[in-house]
Amino acid sequence: MTNISRRALFAAPTLLAMPAIAQGDDRPTLTIAVQKLSNSNTFEPPREQSNVGFRIHGLYAEQLVGTNWLGNADLVPGLATAWRRRDASTLELTLRPGVRFHDGREMTAEDVAFSFGARLFGTQGSSGAGQSTVLAGTATKEPPAEVIAVSRRTYPGLARIEIVDRHTVRFVNRSPDVTLEGRIAQSVGAILSREAFAAAPSWLEWGRAPVGTGPYRIAEFRPDTALVMEAHDAYWGGRPPARRLRFVEVPEVSGRVNGLFSGEYDFACDIPPDQISVVERNSRFEVLGSPINNIRKLAFDKSNPVLADARIRRAMSHAIDRQVLVDTLWAGRTVIPRGMQLESYGAMYLPDWENPRFDLAEARRLLREANYQGQPITYRLLNNYYTNQVASGQIAVEMWRAAGLNVQIEMMENFAQVTARTPGRGVRDWSNTSIFGDPVAGILRSFGPRTEAERTGEWSSATFNETSAALETETDLTRRRELFRRLLTILEREDPGYIVLHQAAAFTAKRKDIQWRAAKGWAMVFSQGNLRVRA
Amino acid sequence: MLRFFGSRLLRAAVTIVMVVTFAFIVLRLSGDPAQIIMGADAPPEAVDAFRTAWGLDQPVWLQYFHYFGAIFQGDLGRSMRDGRDAIVLVMERIPATLALTIPALLIKLGLGIPAGITAALHRNSFIDRAVMLMAVAGFTVPSFVLGLLLVLVFAVQLGWLPSGGQESWRHAILPIITMGVGGAAVLARFTRSAMLEVLGQPYIRTASAKGVPWRAVVWGHALPNAAIPTVTIVGFMVGSLIAGAVVVESVFSWPGVGRLLVVAVANRDLAVVQCILLLVAATMVTANLVVDLLYGLLDPRLRNQPKRATGAA
Repeated sequence: MTNISRRALFAAPTLLAMPAIAQGDDRPTLTIAVQKLSNSNTFEPPREQSNVGFRIHGLYAEQLVGTNWLGNADLVPGLATAWRRRDASTLELTLRPGVRFHDGREMTAEDVAFSFGARLFGTQGSSGAGQSTVLAGTATKEPPAEVIAVSRRTYPGLARIEIVDRHTVRFVNRSPDVTLEGRIAQSVGAILSREAFAAAPSWLEWGRAPVGTGPYRIAEFRPDTALVMEAHDAYWGGRPPARRLRFVEVPEVSGRVNGLFSGEYDFACDIPPDQISVVERNSRFEVLGSPINNIRKLAFDKSNPVLADARIRRAMSHAIDRQVLVDTLWAGRTVIPRGMQLESYGAMYLPDWENPRFDLAEARRLLREANYQGQPITYRLLNNYYTNQVASGQIAVEMWRAAGLNVQIEMMENFAQVTARTPGRGVRDWSNTSIFGDPVAGILRSFGPRTEAERTGEWSSATFNETSAALETETDLTRRRELFRRLLTILEREDPGYIVLHQAAAFTAKRKDIQWRAAKGWAMVFSQGNLRVRA
Repeated sequence: MLRFFGSRLLRAAVTIVMVVTFAFIVLRLSGDPAQIIMGADAPPEAVDAFRTAWGLDQPVWLQYFHYFGAIFQGDLGRSMRDGRDAIVLVMERIPATLALTIPALLIKLGLGIPAGITAALHRNSFIDRAVMLMAVAGFTVPSFVLGLLLVLVFAVQLGWLPSGGQESWRHAILPIITMGVGGAAVLARFTRSAMLEVLGQPYIRTASAKGVPWRAVVWGHALPNAAIPTVTIVGFMVGSLIAGAVVVESVFSWPGVGRLLVVAVANRDLAVVQCILLLVAATMVTANLVVDLLYGLLDPRLRNQPKRATGAA
C-alpha cells in the first residue's frame, strides 16, 4: 500500500487547483500607447474633462446611468438598474444590487450621496457661496476649486440627494430638468467609494487612484510614463477579458506606430488620418475608428471690427466646402453633421436642419453688400492641437481667398494666446463635444451664459441667452425642439458664431489578431464581449 | 585667486537671476496657465477660481516679488498640475535623465576626442577624410532624425531593441547612442581643429628638431595645449547634463527632466519650469566656473597672467 503523508494530503488540493489558476492567468496583458495619460496627474473625473480622461474613465469608474459607447451612445442602465420620474424635478433610481468596489465593499446609496456631495462640492454644498483653493487638495479633503466649478456647471440645479433605502436614491433638482438622466451619465457623476475617500490622507492622494466599480482597478501610476490597471474580477458585468491593461505615454505619433510595428504595443491610440495607410500597409495591423461625439468648428469673434458685420461672417460660411476637407484630410472617414447637433440627440435631433451651403457666388454677393474692401481678418491658428488643424486652416484660407476674403494666419502657441482680448482676434479653431444626447450638453456648453464664448467676449447675444435658459428648463418636447431650432437659427444664420466643419474622428491602430471594436466616442471599452485575442 | 573666484561667483549669481527673471516674465506674458491647464472647455468660473487660488490675478511684479521671496526661504513653489512641490517633481526625474546623459557624455569623450586627434595626426589622409565625413554627418543630422532612424532599424526592422520607454537598461541604448553620436561628432571637429593649430606652432617644430620622439611631442606638448578649446566644449556638455536630452527624451518617451520641461512649458506649469531652469542655469554656471579654473591648470600663462597684460606675448 502506498503511504500518503500528511504534507502530500495538504498539497493535493493545491496541485489540483493549479490548472484552474493557470487558466485564470492566461488572460492577456495588453499594452496601449497613448499620447497622454492624464492632464492633471489625477484620475478624478472633474479634473479630466477631455479626450485624455474620457478614454480611460469607464475602465475604472462608472455612473448610475451608463452610455452605450459601442452602440449609438444611447443611455443604458449602469449602476442603477432602473429610474423613474416622480416629477419634472425629481428622479428616483434603483441601484444595482451586489456591485463591488475595487476595495471589496458593496456599493450602497451612501456612496451615491457621497459621490454627489462632499466629493464634488466639498464642504460648500452644491449651492454654497465660498470656494476652496487648489492647494487645499494637497493637505485636506476639500476638492480643488476647479472641481467644484465643473461640478456646479454639470449639475446646476441639483438641490440634494435623498436616500430612500440602501438601494434607492432620489435626485432632487431646484428647477425642472428633463436632461437630468443625461447629466447623471456624465463622467463627473462617477460613483466612487466613500470609505476609500475617508481613508485617503488628502484629496489629491485619493484623486491619483480613486476607487470605483469599473472592470479594472488602478494599480500603478507613474506620471507622464505609465498607468497600469488590473482586472477587477468581482466586476458585476462579468470577469474582465484582460488580466492587465498597461497604458504607456508616447507623445510622438511615430513612436506609437513604431512601437506597434515592433511588437511592444498592442494598441496605438490617437492615430492621425494620414498615418492610417502607413499602418495598414502592414498586413498584421489595422486601424479602427469612426466619427465621435465632437464637432469641429471655426469660431468668429464678432467684436472684431470687420466681423462685426454678420454678412461677412455669413459670406465666410458660404465660402467653405466642407466635403473637400473631409475627402482630402480625413480620407472620407468622417461626416458633416447637420449644424451643431448629432443624431444621438434622438427626439431632439432636427433632421431637416442644413448647414449654410457652399456657394461662392452668394459669398461674393454678401461681401459686396457689406462693402468689404479686403480688410485683413486674422486667423489665430494652433499647431495641430486638433487633428489636421494646420492643413485644414490653410485650405480654409484659400477657400476664403477664392471668395475675395483676405484672411491671414497668425500662428499661436496655446489657447490663452488664441483667445486673448488683443487687437486682431478674428477667427479661430474650436470644437464642441456633446457629452450626452441633448443640445444642452453640446452647444450650450460653449455659447450662452457663463460659457467660454461669453467669457472671452467673442460672441454673446441677449436673445440667445434667453432662449437657452428657456430650453434648459422646458419639459415639453415640441417646445424644446422649437427652442433648439431657434438657437441654431441665431448661431448659424442670423448672427453666425461659428462655421461647422465636420465631426471629429478618433482612430486607434491595433494588432489584427485582437478582436475589438472601437467606440463611437473617446472611450476605450475592454469589457466582456469586446475583447478576444486569437490564439 | 580669491578675487578671481569671487568675481566668477558673483557673475554666476547674476546670470542665474537673469535667467530666472527672463523665464518668469516670458512665461507669464505668453499664456494664461489657468486656461491652459484647465483646458479649452473649462467653465469660466473654474478658470477664475484657479487664477485666484494661484495668485495669477495679482500684478506680475507682485507675483515676481513673492516668487523671489519664497526662493530665499527655500520654497521653489508647487506644480499647478498636481499640487506637489516642484523641486520634488524635478528631483524625481533627474536620475532618469542622468542615466542617459552620463553614458552619452562618456561616448562623446571616448569617441570624439580620439577621433579628432587621429584625424589631426593624419591630416589630409584617407583616415582624416573618413573621420571628418562621419563627424559632419553626425552633427548635421538632427537628433530626432537620427533617433527615428535608429528605431526603424534596430526596433522595427531587426527587433533587437525597444523603441521607447524606460522599463530596462535595453531601453536606454538607442537614446544614449543618439545623443552620444552627435556630441562625439562635435568634439571630434573641435579637437581636430585645436590639434591642427597646435601642431603648426613653432614649439612643436622645435621639439621635433631637438629629436624628441613624435609620440612624446604629441602627448607632452600638443595635447595639453589643444585641450583648452576642447575643455570649453566639454564644459558645455557637462552643463547640459540635466536638461540636454529634451528632444531625445521626447522621441524615446523617456520620462526625464527634458520630458517634464516640455510638458511643464506646454501647460505653463510655472513653478516647475522655473525650478528646472534654475537648476539648469546653476549647473551650466557651475560647469563654466570649473572650466575657468581648469584653464588656469592647463595653461600656466593664464594662471600667472599680470592684471592688465592682455594680448601681448
